Amino acid sequence: MCAIMGNVYECPELLPLTEKRPLATLPFDCKYRLIDFNLSNAINANIKSVYMVFNQGTTKSVFDHIGGGREWHLDSVDSRYFIHFYQDFLKKKAEGRPYFESVIDYLNKSKSEYTVFMGNRMLCNIDLEAVLKIHQQSDSVMTVVYKKMPKEQIYRQDEILEVDEHGIIKGHHNFLEDKSDDEMLNLSMKIFICRTDWLINALQEGQNLGGPVALVDFLTLAMNQVKTYAYEYTGFLSNIFDIKSYYDANMAMLDPKKFTSLLYSKQKIYTKLKNEVATYYSPTSEVRNSQFATGCLIDGKVQGSLVSRSVVVENGAEVEESIIMASCSIQENAFVKHAILDKNVVVEPGIKIIGSADQPVVIKKNTHVLSDVYGGE
Amino acid sequence: MKTEILAMILAGGKGSRLGKLTQKIAKPAVPFGGRYRIIDFTLSNCINSGINNVGVVTQYQPLALNNHIGNGSSWGFDGLNSGVTILQPYSSNDGSKWFEGTAHAIYQNMDYIDQMDPQYVLVLSGDHIYKMDYEAMLEDHKANNASLTVAVIEVPIEEASRFGIMNTDENDRIIEFEEKPEVPKSNLASMGIYIFNWSRLRSVLLNSYKKDDQMLDFGNHVIPAYLESGENVFAYRFDGYWKDVGTIDSLWEASMEFIDPEHNLNIRDKNWRILAKNTISPPHFLTESADVKDSLVVDGCYVAGHVKHSILSGDVQVKEGAKVVDSVIMPGATIGKNVQITKAIIGENAIIGDGAVVDGSEEIAVVGYSEVIGVLTSESE
Repeated sequence: MCAIMGNVYECPELLPLTEKRPLATLPFDCKYRLIDFNLSNAINANIKSVYMVFNQGTTKSVFDHIGGGREWHLDSVDSRYFIHFYQDFLKKKAEGRPYFESVIDYLNKSKSEYTVFMGNRMLCNIDLEAVLKIHQQSDSVMTVVYKKMPKEQIYRQDEILEVDEHGIIKGHHNFLEDKSDDEMLNLSMKIFICRTDWLINALQEGQNLGGPVALVDFLTLAMNQVKTYAYEYTGFLSNIFDIKSYYDANMAMLDPKKFTSLLYSKQKIYTKLKNEVATYYSPTSEVRNSQFATGCLIDGKVQGSLVSRSVVVENGAEVEESIIMASCSIQENAFVKHAILDKNVVVEPGIKIIGSADQPVVIKKNTHVLSDVYGGE
Repeated sequence: MKTEILAMILAGGKGSRLGKLTQKIAKPAVPFGGRYRIIDFTLSNCINSGINNVGVVTQYQPLALNNHIGNGSSWGFDGLNSGVTILQPYSSNDGSKWFEGTAHAIYQNMDYIDQMDPQYVLVLSGDHIYKMDYEAMLEDHKANNASLTVAVIEVPIEEASRFGIMNTDENDRIIEFEEKPEVPKSNLASMGIYIFNWSRLRSVLLNSYKKDDQMLDFGNHVIPAYLESGENVFAYRFDGYWKDVGTIDSLWEASMEFIDPEHNLNIRDKNWRILAKNTISPPHFLTESADVKDSLVVDGCYVAGHVKHSILSGDVQVKEGAKVVDSVIMPGATIGKNVQITKAIIGENAIIGDGAVVDGSEEIAVVGYSEVIGVLTSESE
């Protein structure tokens, strides 16, 4: 099996967190990036060849994070990974050239029997080999993965699947067009599995007919034309599309059940390794119900929060129900509640940053906070 | 292949004074400081000093050490013209090659050293906690036109009789060496770190093994022979933190010192990082009932109990009601509910059953690797 990862669609609702990085490299739970989950899903299914599509100009943090791919074993003799730009597909289409050329070439060379496609927003720990087995047993052309989700956790661009009693897709529609009264909807997780030879043919036909350029749209549309089996995923899923859903997905990790389901399942989640020293809790520190990466120095109070690498919380400072990204410094007697501090934020002594659980305050990367910030009204 | 300087780390000592901790693994592979093994300090010093080629001489219980070092990529030894080679004793036509001393270990690995063809050989031991720039020592060695340079550290004079003591002239040229002298004339102790001009050491060793006066040790045999034959032998003074962790007491002491964020070792200095083989674990979780003070905690830990002035290594669990004080918990250990641990070293993957007491107030308590203490209830995993 080989994997294609689409990282084309971004959510403007996530700004300013995605101002300088694609959604794929958004930090998650102290030490991960969102893309770690899909890469790990692929690696855990013994996939050794990965093709990623990104928007031009967004890949600095991607290369920095993935590097040679060692942590995901993408650097071994028989493993490969490729990065291609979405704008190249668009340019070729505009010029009337075969725009799926590069991905078709990749699929041919991968010599894999099956291909899995994954989008960039759905955070999950899924056993793709199990999905493949079910797909092979069904006599369908494609399998799509979905989860029953409450309406408030669904994004305006998401697709809702209509599934018949045999688990076959009979239709799908955009969430905004959903008129049902159901509390829970079948959210397409934008994970598709199909035979590689079928996909190559479909892409060739698609580009002749001028079909959608983004592969996620292409595959969603393909559900109309071929028999598609719907695989219901029951594990932990976070649909990340705005600040609130991002905040909630992180905070969910403080629930031991969800934390265990996502990070302590039989499938490991791999991420970039850093050589950080242990986190030090001083005699004045007071920490409850929180998670920390390594390299931190904690002198103050931390409660109900997630703290990334190399963060300093000075004496008298308090952090409550917040996400603190790497290398932030929260100085003496500062107070941070219901906030997301992006990387390298410095909060001056005595400064207050207060949001609400529904609307957490976001402090942009590298900001030096000199005056109080209130948000969430 | 021509190499300016090759480091040889002697990691073959039995380390029997560490008792249970070295029953199954070699001393340099003993975990330290939450996320390191002892040898990481020496390996990191090498790469930070620009020494890209290292031989690690092992013989006792080498499995954990080999697994830890692998191809050396954790420290960056997998680059071009770099490498770390694990050297184990083997049998040849001339008979067994079991190492009988520090100099003997170098002699037995002469083929490897010749293959690397270095100008200088840096001899290190893998069981010290310190940060040192070997490049500065090499510069000194060259400037002094020395044949041998010995790194020395000042120790309190009342402790000097436990060490190999170097007596030097005003230029730091070594004129006399005394192994564990009853009445020490100086307080300059050998750190067991040597830079030799390889061609000279090679012929000295070859000569000695041709005859009957075989040179087994650097301290007992090679250094005295060098001094006797009038070789240029210099002392290189080191004044940073340096700790031999060869005993349970010194390992525990070094660990307790390591907790202090103001520690001289300056472990957080990004310009001289100590690298280690990292494993992948989720962030550590301090629950609602956790109370952690004056302690170091790393990835994968789950803490629901009280922890004071202690080190929790990777993937350690401290369950509700447990109290851990002045102790080192090595990776993967589980501390059950209401357990009390004081002044102890708990080995890797040990399991302390609910309600058990491990008290090292009199003498540091040691629980071995994967050892199980107390009764396991159905709830403890």
